[in-house]
Amino acid sequence: MKNGLFGLRRPAIVGAASAALLLGTSPAALQAQEVSGELIILQWLGGTEAELWADLQAAFMEANPGVTVRELVVTGVGDMRGAMRTALLGGETVDIIINTWPAFRAELADAGIIQPIDDAWTENDWSTQLSDSWRTLGAIGDDTYGLTYTYGNRSGIWYKTEHLENAGIEPPQTWDALIASFDTLKAAGHEAPFAVPAQFWAHSELFETLLIRTSGVETATALAAHDIPWTDPAVRAALEKYAELLAAGCCASASTMLASDWDAEADQLFLADNRNYLLIGMWMNTRARNDYGLSEGEDYSMFQFPALGLGHDDTSMVDSKELNLTTNGNNPEAAIAFFDFMLSAEASEIQAGYGFASPSSEADTSLLGPVQQISTAAVAESQVQFVLGDLLPGDLVDEYRVQLQRFLQDPSDAMIDSVLEAIEAKAQVSY
Amino acid sequence: MSNGVVNGETAPSGPTSTARGGRAIPGAAHEGRLWRLSDTPAAWLLILPVLVFFSISVVYPLAETIRLSFFDIRGLSAPRYVGLGNYIALFADPLFRNTIVTALIFTLGVTAISVSIGWGLAMLSAFAPAQTMPFRMMVFAAFGISETVSAYMWIMILRPDQAGLLNSIIGIFNPGFAHAWLGDQNTALWALIIAASWSAVGLPLLLCFAAVQAIPKSVLEAAYMDGARPTSIMRHIMMPLSLPGVRVAIFINLLNALRAFDIIFVLTGGGPVRSTETIGYFMYRESMTQFKLGYGAAATVVLLIAVLVVSIPAILQRTAGAK
Repeated sequence: MKNGLFGLRRPAIVGAASAALLLGTSPAALQAQEVSGELIILQWLGGTEAELWADLQAAFMEANPGVTVRELVVTGVGDMRGAMRTALLGGETVDIIINTWPAFRAELADAGIIQPIDDAWTENDWSTQLSDSWRTLGAIGDDTYGLTYTYGNRSGIWYKTEHLENAGIEPPQTWDALIASFDTLKAAGHEAPFAVPAQFWAHSELFETLLIRTSGVETATALAAHDIPWTDPAVRAALEKYAELLAAGCCASASTMLASDWDAEADQLFLADNRNYLLIGMWMNTRARNDYGLSEGEDYSMFQFPALGLGHDDTSMVDSKELNLTTNGNNPEAAIAFFDFMLSAEASEIQAGYGFASPSSEADTSLLGPVQQISTAAVAESQVQFVLGDLLPGDLVDEYRVQLQRFLQDPSDAMIDSVLEAIEAKAQVSY
Repeated sequence: MSNGVVNGETAPSGPTSTARGGRAIPGAAHEGRLWRLSDTPAAWLLILPVLVFFSISVVYPLAETIRLSFFDIRGLSAPRYVGLGNYIALFADPLFRNTIVTALIFTLGVTAISVSIGWGLAMLSAFAPAQTMPFRMMVFAAFGISETVSAYMWIMILRPDQAGLLNSIIGIFNPGFAHAWLGDQNTALWALIIAASWSAVGLPLLLCFAAVQAIPKSVLEAAYMDGARPTSIMRHIMMPLSLPGVRVAIFINLLNALRAFDIIFVLTGGGPVRSTETIGYFMYRESMTQFKLGYGAAATVVLLIAVLVVSIPAILQRTAGAK
């Protein structure tokens, strides 16, 4: 029943709800009567996620026969914001935008393209399904713009179970155990234990987790807002830890790291057995299951980044995807109904089937695969920080990743200073 | 004969086409001048659809790009007029200056390698045209392959582990050899140049071969009868007389290399540490990744000017005979 409660139509819908209850009609049937027309979603996801979305939309249309969902698909490679901006600036009108970048949410809000959803949140009582922390994640100041429908752990390390079993080691729980495992794994015939795909962006994953593990989520938040400079000792400490890892022989040569993207390194781990650890997001789960045909929890698994013992081991980096409501969409009622549907048990179950976790309290976590359950539990026990790269201004994040490439080429103290000064110089003009 | 070759370089099969009537407008010769467009309003009517299409698809986007280059546009925010601000910032930007140097090395490298190889293969093929036809077709087929597809093929050749084709070939002589050609700043640009040259050889081969084929048999026969060796014939007759084809090949490959984007995007993404970032990639990064549309548009205009600088002398030279 909550689905149709939006804006000016609310009294009419409440009236219809009363009539429906009198007639013994179910809320789902009522929803079907009340929401109609075309719902347009700006869609940029590909592969398995696109299939997931097709299933979600089909389920929504089944529950709401009066609604036809149409995807406005934008395609591209890499950062999809360019294609999304092009579509929006080109005059495309959509009701819902799927978004994963907080910085882009702010840009959309500043441009007046999306609107706050606080009224709908209250009217639909979404707080019973999403905790305040998820609401805060989708907020700009006091206004909520994003409804989070899935999230992922970005501080989990993927591994192939047989690698560690053959080497006679357990998933490392501490930094020292992680460092010690490199020689053991190399002795077992693996080329370079830790995969660091540095061709584009994935090498920043390791830095970001090290940042929150050495200095806490507050430091990362302050850095994202440029409340502290990049030359701050806390940032330096994270890079020093990164350098420690490199010095311990964790990884392939710098040129190999710089020549590889995350998928190539995943191949090196899961197909070629040349790597053992890969710190990357939860999309790895789908690739391992679908592309490599591996059995989740048996052939491969995940452990949370080892404890550094610096007082911040309860922190994890996360990402999320959210829905934004546009200001100029033609069907806000259906859009809100769709938001509500995405928090339902049915939508959560569909997501779980594709290996994606829903933050909704209606989600049955037992439906998730074993690795997803490890990940979900780890995030639940952590202080979380959104991926730093997605919080930074566009030109700064570019410079940040390029400078980290320089660091990988030469992880010396002098280079750390040079790298941080270069990022800070860019930050000075980016905010 | 040599004049015929020079004047007829655009039509590989007709080096002496003017003399043979292949390219002249019938009747023009009788009036002692070439036919002009302004001779008949019907001509304008006939080219009107093309002009309209050209205006919509080329002139308008070009004008819009130039207009945008005078604005500061960041993301979805409102445009702010900055006059020449983007151009001033562009030339003060060390990254852009680095991009120009990289683009020059890439452009000259690809052009020099592809045209040299294409020209050389054309010379050799000319000695046995029928027998080398399948070979020429194969080389030219690479020219027809999409740059993106070609780039993915080169990823497999240049992949950093021992399974990479290049590494495995070197590994025959040096077991265990593995080099990350695209991840090493010293080799990434050259690896790109080789990869881009591979697909660019086909056109010079075609053009130069056609130019050689246009050399009258009587000239070659005379050289043979005078006792000239094949190497002398190649050096003193075939090479000089095929120069018109070489010039066209240089012109086209230079332009293509200057505008290159796809192969760089797929193979290196401009990296490592921006060492393979050309003007085309810089333009994409600024416009599409960072969505600084005005700044990206300014870079586009600079690229356009670079293309014009290359094109205009070639066009003037090639149309010099037209009255």
